[in-house]
Amino acid sequence: MIKTMKKITKTLVALTVALLSVTTSCKNYLDIVPDNIPTIDNAFTSRTEAEKYLFTCYSYLPNDADPVSNVAFLGADEIWIPPSRRGILENFNMSWDIARGSQNAGSPIVNIWNGRFQAIRQCNIFLENISDKNKVLDLPADLRTRWIAEVKFLKAFYNFQLLRAYGPIPIIDTNLDIFADTEDMKVKRMPFDTCVDYIAKLLDEATPDLPPLIGERATEMGRITRPIAMAIKAKLLVLAASPLFNGNPDYANFKDKDGTQLINTTFQVSKWQKAADAAKAAIDASELSGHKLYTFVPASNLSDTTDRQMSIRNAITERWNAEKVWGLSGSNANNLQRVAMGCLTTAFNVNNSNSQLSVPLKITDMFYSKNGVPINEDKTLDFSNKNQLRTAVREERFYVSNGYQTARINYDREPRFYADLGFDGGVWYMIANNPGISGTDESTFYMQAKYTQPGNSGAEGYYNETGYFIKKLVEWNLTNSASANTVRTYEWPEIRLADLYLLYAEALNEAKGPDEADIFVYLDKIRTRASLLGVKESWANFSNNPAKYTTKDGLRAIIKQERSIELAFEGSRFWDLRRWKDAVTAMNAPITGWSISQSTAAGYYQPRLIFAQTFVAPRDYLWPIATSNFTVNTNLVQNPGW
Amino acid sequence: MFRLQLTASGQHREPGTFNRNVMRKHLSFLLKSAARASFFVLLFMSYTAMAQNLKVSGTVRDSTGVLPGVSVKVKGAATGGSTSVNGTYTITAPRTAVLTFTFVGMKTQEFPLNNVRANSAGEYTLNVTMSPDQNALEEVAVVGFGTQKKTTMVGSVTTISPKELKGPTSNLTQMLAGRLSGVIGFQSSGEPGSDNASFFVRGIGSFGTGQVSPLILIDGIESTQTDLARLQADDIASFSLLKDATAAAVYGARGANGIVLIKTKEGEAGKTKFTFRFENTLSENTQNFKFADNITYMNLANEAALTRNPLNPIPYSQTKINRTASGTANPYLYPSNNWIDQIIKDKTLNQRYNMSVTGGADKAKYYVGGTFNVDNGIYKVDQLNNFNNNVKLLNYSIRSNVTLQLTKSTRADIRVYGQFDDYNGPLGGGKEIFQAAIFANPVMFPMRYPASYAPNIKHPLFGNAVKETVPGSSVGGGLYNNPYAFLVQGYRQQNKSNLQPQIELTQDLDGLTKGLKFRFMGYVRRNSEFDINRSYFPFYYSAGSTDGTDIVLNALNPGGAGSIGTTGSEYLNYAEGDKELSSALYTETAMNYGRTFAGKHAISGMLIATLRNSLNGNAGSLQASLPKRNQGISGRFTYGYDERYMTEFNFGYNGTERFAKNHRFGFFPSIGVAYVVSNENFWEPMSNVVSKMKLRATYGLNGNDAIGADTDRFFYLSNVNLTGGPSYSFGEDPSLLYSRPGIQVLRYANDRITWEESKQLNLGVDFSLYNALNVTIDAYKKRTSNILQDRSAVPSTMGLLAAAVANVGVQDNKGIDMQADYSKSLGNKSWVQIRGTFTYATNKIVTYDEPSYPASLAHLYRVGHSAGESMGYIAERLFTDDIEVDNSPSQAAIAGGVRVRGGDIKYRDVNNDGVINTNDRVFMGLPSTPEITYGFGFSASHKSFDLSAQVNGNARFAFFVNSGAFNGSSLSESGIAPFVQIGGYQNGLLQAIAEDHWSEDNRNAYAFWPRLNSINTPNNAVRSSWWMREGSFLRLQQVEVGFTPKQQWRDKLHMKNIRLYVSARNLFVVTKFKLWDPEVRGNGLDYPLQRVYNFGVNVGL
Repeated sequence: MIKTMKKITKTLVALTVALLSVTTSCKNYLDIVPDNIPTIDNAFTSRTEAEKYLFTCYSYLPNDADPVSNVAFLGADEIWIPPSRRGILENFNMSWDIARGSQNAGSPIVNIWNGRFQAIRQCNIFLENISDKNKVLDLPADLRTRWIAEVKFLKAFYNFQLLRAYGPIPIIDTNLDIFADTEDMKVKRMPFDTCVDYIAKLLDEATPDLPPLIGERATEMGRITRPIAMAIKAKLLVLAASPLFNGNPDYANFKDKDGTQLINTTFQVSKWQKAADAAKAAIDASELSGHKLYTFVPASNLSDTTDRQMSIRNAITERWNAEKVWGLSGSNANNLQRVAMGCLTTAFNVNNSNSQLSVPLKITDMFYSKNGVPINEDKTLDFSNKNQLRTAVREERFYVSNGYQTARINYDREPRFYADLGFDGGVWYMIANNPGISGTDESTFYMQAKYTQPGNSGAEGYYNETGYFIKKLVEWNLTNSASANTVRTYEWPEIRLADLYLLYAEALNEAKGPDEADIFVYLDKIRTRASLLGVKESWANFSNNPAKYTTKDGLRAIIKQERSIELAFEGSRFWDLRRWKDAVTAMNAPITGWSISQSTAAGYYQPRLIFAQTFVAPRDYLWPIATSNFTVNTNLVQNPGW
Repeated sequence: MFRLQLTASGQHREPGTFNRNVMRKHLSFLLKSAARASFFVLLFMSYTAMAQNLKVSGTVRDSTGVLPGVSVKVKGAATGGSTSVNGTYTITAPRTAVLTFTFVGMKTQEFPLNNVRANSAGEYTLNVTMSPDQNALEEVAVVGFGTQKKTTMVGSVTTISPKELKGPTSNLTQMLAGRLSGVIGFQSSGEPGSDNASFFVRGIGSFGTGQVSPLILIDGIESTQTDLARLQADDIASFSLLKDATAAAVYGARGANGIVLIKTKEGEAGKTKFTFRFENTLSENTQNFKFADNITYMNLANEAALTRNPLNPIPYSQTKINRTASGTANPYLYPSNNWIDQIIKDKTLNQRYNMSVTGGADKAKYYVGGTFNVDNGIYKVDQLNNFNNNVKLLNYSIRSNVTLQLTKSTRADIRVYGQFDDYNGPLGGGKEIFQAAIFANPVMFPMRYPASYAPNIKHPLFGNAVKETVPGSSVGGGLYNNPYAFLVQGYRQQNKSNLQPQIELTQDLDGLTKGLKFRFMGYVRRNSEFDINRSYFPFYYSAGSTDGTDIVLNALNPGGAGSIGTTGSEYLNYAEGDKELSSALYTETAMNYGRTFAGKHAISGMLIATLRNSLNGNAGSLQASLPKRNQGISGRFTYGYDERYMTEFNFGYNGTERFAKNHRFGFFPSIGVAYVVSNENFWEPMSNVVSKMKLRATYGLNGNDAIGADTDRFFYLSNVNLTGGPSYSFGEDPSLLYSRPGIQVLRYANDRITWEESKQLNLGVDFSLYNALNVTIDAYKKRTSNILQDRSAVPSTMGLLAAAVANVGVQDNKGIDMQADYSKSLGNKSWVQIRGTFTYATNKIVTYDEPSYPASLAHLYRVGHSAGESMGYIAERLFTDDIEVDNSPSQAAIAGGVRVRGGDIKYRDVNNDGVINTNDRVFMGLPSTPEITYGFGFSASHKSFDLSAQVNGNARFAFFVNSGAFNGSSLSESGIAPFVQIGGYQNGLLQAIAEDHWSEDNRNAYAFWPRLNSINTPNNAVRSSWWMREGSFLRLQQVEVGFTPKQQWRDKLHMKNIRLYVSARNLFVVTKFKLWDPEVRGNGLDYPLQRVYNFGVNVGL
């Protein structure tokens, strides 16, 4: 028995050894992953690969030419759309729902929180790797410096976007490892001023290493330049100096869990001075790089009126014109033109020219009279009876079609009114397929927007809700037929020089008051381009409040209105109303339009209530952070009111 | 239990007849068709005649035919023999002797010869019918890499007689639930080709996203659920389910979810034996959902439009409704379709053919099985086309198992199996037709206009209409979906093949030491699959009329100006579908040792080394394309003393390619003990009552490497797309921008990811009462840990582009498996057997990576809930009116921009924050997978007739009626909300909604359906208790009546055996849920389960 057992044991041992040797002989059997399998390290092996990562960091730049994803188009009171959202504007839970009061913390509308932090993580990965000189060995030093500066800018910009929306934000300057302790991941929001300093520092670091202008226009237009970084710094500092974030008592109780005040409650005028300095620096740098206000080269076949309008329209739509300090090469206005364009004749098909972007009457009222002062201040012109009908005379034919009957409010307005807006009877010059006298602007296109007229198709969701179309956003080469629509796209002007002028004027007035000559110098540059007299001259001659510009408050009102008109429909008002703390007034006023389902002039020109907006202050000034974040990160605090 | 036929015949034979073995060898056998080989083996034991002996002869058979090889012995003597291949025997024994008939798997039977009377010819005939012995069948059970004697087994293994897996279905997976204890199973579609039942061993053990279904091994070949589905019960020799840690341990890394082990039949030496089975089945839907009539449809569609906004245009004019209702208006102008009737048949016919041949000699035996099944779908086929747009699944397979005794101690098994599916069906597959029928407007167009309306046109004139615009939505313009056109416009062919040759060598090493064996097995498996679509684009027409009767057809999509949608085509277009190719190679090398010393010490040992490699030809990415590999050593060591005490140790030491080097190998040990109390001497007094009593206990660890998504295997490597990530473009000219592909992180590297593990304790008892009632009960507790999950506690400020994962989850499972059978003989011509199983499996999440919720949100914690429980809102009732809506917590967050009105569902503000949002969801109801599956049935035989029935049930599960609309893409996510239009689809109206919905006239706060709407109403479509239904059901799953003609009839037909039978499946179901068959759960709009009536013949030659 024992003998047998021994034998068995021996045999088993022998066999075990045999079996094990079979197995171990292929000990690399499980090593099936070949070398060179793509991993993150491969992204930083060569210049070619690293360049892809650079583009990836850029990929998070906003698509601001898109009417759906740019919250500033439909999120405020500047543009309205028909209630049955059709076509491109079909989305629910888009910015328009913010305008309609549906913002909520459960699933915030236009929630950029996650996406921006992803962008920042990508930038951090890039910076970590590219800063290591042992990586991407074939990258020339000057390019390395430039790339680092560009990505630093992008990182700053993504932080700026968060800051503008949410106020105080957590600062993620370096990436945490994915295995990091959960407690370390629970980052806190930093006080607003700390965030501003942080972003400003990033921009300052980036600025000197950025090119003043783009040399390789064919392949690099759209890359970040020194003026862009300085312009964003100006915007940042203006934001930080503005009433929403500079000594706002509404946020007295807005504190972190450890009691840190997140938004200061003491006003500091010095912030305005810093903002003014930054704006001036940005203007100087831009002008040094060749940026200047756009003006249309007068065309011999066009009237002076149309020439003036084209200076205004093409400042937005002409590709890479010198006024565009920052054009978003990755965001071309295509859909935007479709939803803005109206049907000018029966040859236009509403499926291609959707007519949807509609301007509320309060926005059209904002444009000055032809004397360059607000319509309710003009002592020479009476606009009190806005909807009184009047027939256009021949002299007005480049504004309103000769002999057409429209409302009083559509006459005697400043050139920007006619350049920016399409309306019933309003002339809408387009360079192609012009029905008028060939090659001229005589008897050209004009909008007919009353019910059953070509501009009012009555099609479900494809119509204009107020009677005012946004001509400003439509490039003048657009052609439209029954079956197709051809637009000439243009890169979205994220920053125009005019914006910087206005920021500078605003900051200077706030910092020092109306005695600063520069305020009027820069305001008047903009007014001059719009064929208006200077502020002082206009008010002195035409306003029933001629001394308005002599006080800080009066001048502030003038600058705000100038800014709102000049940058109308470009996505500025949404943010301006917030930083000025004016949204609570503006966005509690009703949205109105003409009675678009009427076919007679008398019926059509009756104001119609479209929507009663509500804006809850201070809640609606800042975005809600999605509720789910607070359960994950217990160190995070919600914005007030949400 | 047995049938005893005593016949006397007058013939007399000399005692001591001795037959020599006659054997004709054909060496060319291996190279020729097995069916043509012929072997004759007649084997009789020599026997010495004695005085006063009777010579008794007869035939031994079981319910399917004659039984060769049955041992016939004189009790208490060493004399005896066994039956011939014809099942006949002759024996000479004293008058006082008792004959015992024994055969593996059958009840041993004893007959005293003094009862046997001579017939008129003076012959003594004793014909015996053996009946299956449920215990004895399991005398030897197939276990991991071997077999074990059932009586000495320690682990928890369920075995089932292959006969019980026979039913009128060509899908074996449908036969498991309720028949195998330890299986939780259900079937959710009746579509041929997609009708596999889901089944889980002891429930779903892990909430992870990896594999939770059992490992299926057919002759040791790792197989898919579809392979199992196509397997023929006729070909199965044994079927085992390994449930506990001890049974599964040798499969180490792959054993955590239970194992299905199947062995196919091997050849039987002897005269060539043929069996044939032919079945013809009539199949029909168990339950179709019921539509409201079309007048109601139109009236309620109008109501739906107006009830949300009285200014909305109504979709159907009163004139249209009246004319449609009149029944006299031209049906092409006022169409009224019942799409179900128009495209679905009442019934369909299916056929199944199965044959096998077995035979050979001791040195070479073969079993060849062939199958041919035809399963037809339930769609109407139009004579319009000469192609078949109905589902037709041809499934054929051939199996050849050859056993060669190469030397006295060397045996080789060569098995070749080929399995082929030829599928023909409508475009998009069968269930999409149901989808098209449900999501189709019934009154806007007829299915087709008569060809006479356009005599010059050859193509079919399909009906359609231009969609009206619906206020508040973007619908409008295009054409409707015509389900009839969708059905008949083309067809899809899909072919699948699976080839798997296998070789197994067994070498007895008795020379080395007695009881030692060496075994090698290897197989190659090749799968391929492709599909082809051929279809034309239908031409659509709408009908107009100038006078209300004469019809003018208007072509809607002839091409050219004004043509809407895709232009029609007269000819077929062609589109290739997916192609899938995969291969696998596997080898195992084993040493087995088993011997009993001194009659009491039973020792066995096994060591096995395995290698597995599989490769997918269209993996989709570089990482997924890398081979999957496993490597391991497993062992089993058992010691038994005196068949009373047994102990067993098993282990698996397994490696996988998926993890970082330091985690690649896992060690999975288990230990078990068993105690056969009934073999103790002290048990003797009780043995008449409790004839068997065995206690078992096992504990051990199993693993699972198939965690996470299959394409996401290499957790320790980052996965980066270096060419297709988000990018940006620069340049002056928008048409000539400079762009570089961006970089996309798809997975972050994580070298800490490792096995999912489960520790399982199993306690079992097996006992028999009165040798008739056999009961097995197992109770277990299993903790699955290291469950891979996304780290939900990673804040979004981390900016991760891919989820961070970790082995953090822990889930506890526990349950009971029971099975019992009882056999009883009723007189000498009848017997009955009753059997039942009960499986209860429940689980609870113990650890889950989730945020730390404040007290007000504590209801969001998953921990403590069953993994299968769903989250939803608590519906209180329907809002009475708009005023109540305004004064209740805001539901805007879930209303998706559609105003909440009176008659919409009111939800409870669980955290009392004044708004209803995702934080107000709670875990509710029961898990979606049943916690209880049970079944019971009986078989009975009386004379030539036999009868059996099986009842199955599932209990303790819940599902949600999907109250959304068709979502435009996925059927399983589409719901029953009427009238909603998405693209060309427009939801039909279920009768249940028409009968019971909230309306302004009937403000029933508890109506089945909330306020109607013509667009999607997210508020009412979110998952909530309003739509939750308890799904328990009990169904008569199968009934079968068989008839076996008497011997003389069979002789006349020259058949050894013939049995005719009729059977039926899914005859009725008892449930509280009435909208559709509850077994399909939420998929009520899918291809329904089938009720079948079957006629079959089984012939043995």
